[in-house]
Parts: sequence; C-alpha cells; structure tokens
Amino acid sequence: MKHFVMGIDFGSTTAKTVILDLQGKVVASNVAHMGAVSGEGVKSSIDGALEEAGITQADVGRTVSTGYGRRMLDIADKNYTEITCHARGAVAMVPDARLVIDIGGQDSKVIAVDANGLVAQFAMNDRCAAGTGKFLEVLARAMQIELQDMGGIALEAKEELKISSMCATFAETEVISLLAEGNTKPNVLGAVHAAIANRTMGLVGRVGKKGPVVMTGGVAKNPAAVHHIQKALGMPIFLPKAPQTAGALGAALLALDDYRAENKDEIALALDGRLDLQMDEAQHCVPGCKGVLAEAEVAAVPMVPATGSSWKRLQSHI
Amino acid sequence: MNAIVKPEPYANKLKSTRIAGKMVNEYWEMVWRAKEEGKLICWYEGSAINPFLEAADICWVHGEAYSAMLAARHQEGPAQAAAEARGYMKELCSYARTHLGCAVSNQRNRNDTDTGVSNAPDDNDLASKLPAPDMIISAYAYCSTGQQWDEMTSRLFGKKIPIFNVSIPWIWGAKKDSGYLKGREWNETSAYVARQLNDMVKFIEERTGKPYPWDRLREMMGYVKRASELRLEAMDMCIATPAPASFFDWVVSIAPINNLPVGPQIVDYFQTVRDEVAARVAAGEGAIRKERYRLFFDGIMNWTKVGWLAEKFAKYDAAVIAGRYTHMAFWQEPKLINPQDPVLGMAQNYLICPNNHSAPILIDLIMDLCSKYEVDGMVIHASRTCRAFTNPQFMIAEAATKRLGIPTSMFEGDVTDDTFYKDELVNSRVEAMLEAIDARRLVMA
Repeated sequence: MKHFVMGIDFGSTTAKTVILDLQGKVVASNVAHMGAVSGEGVKSSIDGALEEAGITQADVGRTVSTGYGRRMLDIADKNYTEITCHARGAVAMVPDARLVIDIGGQDSKVIAVDANGLVAQFAMNDRCAAGTGKFLEVLARAMQIELQDMGGIALEAKEELKISSMCATFAETEVISLLAEGNTKPNVLGAVHAAIANRTMGLVGRVGKKGPVVMTGGVAKNPAAVHHIQKALGMPIFLPKAPQTAGALGAALLALDDYRAENKDEIALALDGRLDLQMDEAQHCVPGCKGVLAEAEVAAVPMVPATGSSWKRLQSHI
Repeated sequence: MNAIVKPEPYANKLKSTRIAGKMVNEYWEMVWRAKEEGKLICWYEGSAINPFLEAADICWVHGEAYSAMLAARHQEGPAQAAAEARGYMKELCSYARTHLGCAVSNQRNRNDTDTGVSNAPDDNDLASKLPAPDMIISAYAYCSTGQQWDEMTSRLFGKKIPIFNVSIPWIWGAKKDSGYLKGREWNETSAYVARQLNDMVKFIEERTGKPYPWDRLREMMGYVKRASELRLEAMDMCIATPAPASFFDWVVSIAPINNLPVGPQIVDYFQTVRDEVAARVAAGEGAIRKERYRLFFDGIMNWTKVGWLAEKFAKYDAAVIAGRYTHMAFWQEPKLINPQDPVLGMAQNYLICPNNHSAPILIDLIMDLCSKYEVDGMVIHASRTCRAFTNPQFMIAEAATKRLGIPTSMFEGDVTDDTFYKDELVNSRVEAMLEAIDARRLVMA
C-alpha cells in the first residue's frame, strides 16, 4: 500500500499540484505559471510538489486530474471536472460553504453546494473569457502594468467609470479609449474590476445567492476583484490562504476517497487502535463530504458597505 | 493495405429511422422538380400547415426544414454566407438566415439569367436550387422573428409574392380557469385561429382557382392522427429501463410527422418505429450500449450535430430520453384532431407549440415529462439565435432543481450555425452534471 495521493489541476494558465497523506493532511502544494495548458508547467508543478513532500511518483497510490488539460495526463488514474473538484476543495477549506465562486484563467464558475457539501447547481461563463483571469491579463498588458499589481492599483480608484463590454478584445479598446480621455489608471482599473463583479453576479443569480461564500481560483488573490464582488454580493467572502489550489485539493481528496475505498482493509489494519483516525476515515466517503483533514487557513474579507451610487451602477448591469 | 475498421458506435440508433432519410430525400427531390412540373409553390415557417397545401396540390416548403436539411448535410455555409453578404446579421435566427440565403441565391441566379448570362444553379448548390415561392403563408406561433422572416423573404422577391397572415396568439394562461388545453382563453383562441385557417383556405382557392378539396384534407388528417398516435405510443414505451430509443431517434423522426408528404406511408413509418421500439423493450435492448444516466434535453436541435451529440451522450452512458422539442411539438395532441372536421384540431395543435405557452404551463409540462421518464438530470441547449426557445430556460433549470431535485447543465450552440458550438465547454458542463449525479447516488446509497 502507498501512503500518498495526488491531485493535479492542469489549468489554462497555471498548473497546480497537491499531495495528501492517507489521513488527508496536505504534505505538499505547488503552483506553476508556465503558459496555456503547458506540459512543462504541469511537469514543473508535479516535480515541485514531489520534492516538497520528499517522495517520488512511485510513492503515490492514486492520482486524480482536473482542469482543461485533465485528459492529457498519463499519470492520472481518473479525471474530474473543475466544478466537482473546486466544490470539493472549497468545502474542505470552508466546511460550511454554500456558494463557491471560482474565477480561473479561462472560465468563471459559481457553484451552489448543498447541506451535504455536494454540487447542487452551477453556472459558468458561456461565450468567451468574459470576466476571467484571461480578461485581466489582456487588460494588464493593454495598460502596461503587472498582473499582480492590478488589484492594488484598482483599489486606489477615486472615480466610478463604466466598462460595458465584457469581451476581452473590445474591453481592451474601451480601456484604451478611457485612458485616452485622460482618466487615471486606478479609475479605469476600478471600472474593470466592477465589470467583473457584475458579470459574476449574473452567474450568482442563476444558481441563487446564499452564504457562506468562498472564493477560489487565481483571481481570488486579486484584492480589487474580491472587494467588488463582495460589494455586489452584499455579504462577506471567505478566502482560503491558497485559493488557486482548491481544484487540486479537491482532486486530491477524490483520489483519497478512491484509494481508501480500494484499500479499506489494509488501511483499517494500519489504523488498528487509532479510533480517532478511524472516525475521520469513516467520513471520507463521498465527494463533497465535510470530514476532511485538509489544512486550509481561511479568512473572511472585511465587508465594505456598498455605496449608494455603486449599488445603483451595479444594479443597472445586473 | 490494412482496412480501416470503423469503431462500433456507442449510440444504438433505431434501425427503422433510416427510412426517414430516404423519405426526406425523396420529398426534397420533389420540391426541386416542382417548378418544372408546373406546381404552385408556397413558402411557410413554423406551424405545420402543409396538409392544407398538399391537399390543394401546392408544393410546400417549410423554411426551418430546408435550413435543417442543409445543416444536417453540412451544406448550410453557402446559404448563410449569401444571407450575410446581403446584410442579414449573424445574430438573426439561423433558420431564417439560412433560408433567406436560399432566397438571395435564387434571386441572384434569376437576375443573372435576365441579363442573358446563363447561370442555372449547379445541381449540388442546394441554396440556389430551392424554387422561388408563388405565395407565402405566415403562421408562426410565438417566434418574434417569424413574421419578419416572411416579410424579408417577400422583399427579396420584390414584394410581388402574395402573403397570407395567420395570427396565432400567445397563450397567456393568466385567468383563473386557465390551464393546458382548457379555460375560456383556450376556447376563444382556438376558435380565433380556426376562423383564420378557414380564411386561409379561401386564399388558397384564389391562388389555385379551384374549389378547396376538403375531402382530401380530411383523409390526410386521418393519416396524421394515426401517425401521431403511433409516434406517441412509441415514445411512451421509453419509460422502460433501459430506454429503447433516444431523443435523437425522435429528432430524426420529426420530418415524417412534420413536413413530409402525408399518406399511408407516414403511418407505416411510425408503425415500423413503434414495432421496433416494442421489440427492444421486450428484449431489454437500450438506445445506448450501457444506460447509467437518464437525461431530459431542453432545447431546439443543433442540426449540424445530431449524430455527434447522440454519440457523445452515449459515450457518457447517458440515455437522453425525452425533450421539449420532440415530445411537446409536432401534432402532439392527436386526440384533438377530428379527421371529419379537422380545422379546429389543427388550429389547436398549432397553438400548443412549446414556445407558445406561458412559463407556468410550459414548466409544468416539462416537469411532468421529467417525472414520467424518471430522468436523473437535464441538459439544456441554449440556442444562440433562437430567443423563443431559450427565453425560459433559466426558469426551467430552477424548477428542475427545486421541484425534482435533479441537476441541470446548460451549453450554448445553435440550430444551424455551427460556429456557436464549443465542444470542450459542452464536455465540461455535461461531465460536471454527471459527476454531481454520481455524488448524489453515493450519498443515497
């Protein structure tokens, strides 16, 4: 019997890997930024996680993949969609979560989770990269700033502007036009993030607004995106410490379920006498189950009340 | 040299529906010959008024059917390009855009010929081959594009084609006594449409110069009624597990009930289909190799992807059993048809086009179908250019989740414009729904 399982989120812009031990404890986690569905990126992420855990692939009993490249990985025993994995990972990070907002590189999803932690309903961006990480990347390039600096600059906005197009290409034109009119970068960026919030609220409306809300995906690391979405929601958002790895964590937990189910007798033998661990074990049986030991530091972002004018502006979009 | 071995399909299509392909081909061959044979030609969209026309020896061309046929043969491109070049934008209903492209192509050829340059359409150019109309009958339920489409067609032909308009009112369902096939509103709108159909017959008499052959219509509606009964009987048998036929089999069987020539052959067709379905039930044979999920399909058909989607769902072990498009349209209430006095029943079947109900009635009907076929989930095809069908889809999804506790999954595509379809997005959404079904089953176990 092996002693570790692995989850890999082979996403459109980054690759993430999480390794768990058989008690569900995170022993390694890695994020690699190496371009669209990059084979090198995913290899780097897997190698990084294995090195951190101090193990080799041979020590991994089960590997589950997710993300756009999930079917491209030979080492994966199974693959699941991002919906299932992000929901599972987010619920592990915030056990009472009822709504998961995940904004990744190429898609944004809102997932309603039921009382059992199972996916009840979901909605995704439909036509293009509207409101996703890719959208922010394109606009960062147009404004000649670093992607990671966007959120901070956007929070310095003093004036409310409006970006109406959510098509990355046309929004870029709009942004250039706003800058040409003499608007400041913070004000323009504020409008960009408000537009993402409006788009996200459309998806929230489709699955139903309920809390607690947890946000995952790379865009959760952008403080302006979180701020504007929270303002539009009118309720606090819980942010895990590593929101980007929620999908990989969910995949790893599914791998854990699978591996434990297959090796039930051996695990019971190994846990003989460890009643506490056996009780935990009993809970690791269904996707979305809340009885996980995965470590996740979670912080609720302080609520900023929406101003009257911003509400009206947001509502005009919704 | 090694022979290429075609993999065994996952979808176990009904064998009897192959006959439909032959019937469809023969029908369009007849349409393409109609001018040479001196027949009057009528273009119409929406409601299945073809028996009225066929009885009077008028060749009928259903716009959506022609567009769907082009799309199913992957030959929609030239017609759509012609329409776009003429100024009809991509967001316009792609049925209309494709059909208007045929009108544009037809006129282009005629004009070139007028200048003395012979430009007879190539036999393979199906856009240009469609013969020009001698009359247009506009009888569309709900669809806001319908009348505009007919008006645009009329303009393309120089506003010289006589048009008759049948107004089919929206069923509001707002009164206390309102409901499916009942209430004062239902009775009044039924009578209103029937009166117009009688006026339409006078219009047909003016065009043909002959008294209307009512006996022939009565005889034809007897065949329609029987074919419809057999079709519904076969569909009902799909409550069996595994389901013996799929939504895609019923899609293939739309033409024989909706727009092909009416006669004993359509009864024979549905009798054969019904018998094959019954034999499958007796043998425990399913519409796919292995049935692990039963799904409802809400949405109009993506005609460029019928076989593709049938195989895709079959590979997921998902039997798509019923749908709004197939099970709630196309003479779906044969009990309303009295062959001896057919007009009122025809009017009523036109009124219950699934787009023409208010949301509460529509949603109740869909939920009933989901319960009847015991589906585990609902896949929703949001057709980009068909607002009429997509308008209530979020409400339908919500009702499925709240009332039946089943997950739904929506993907975007289109009726005849392939460019709106994105395969990887469909995969992600459908797989996510199936995973949600699996997770629920684990909890229930």
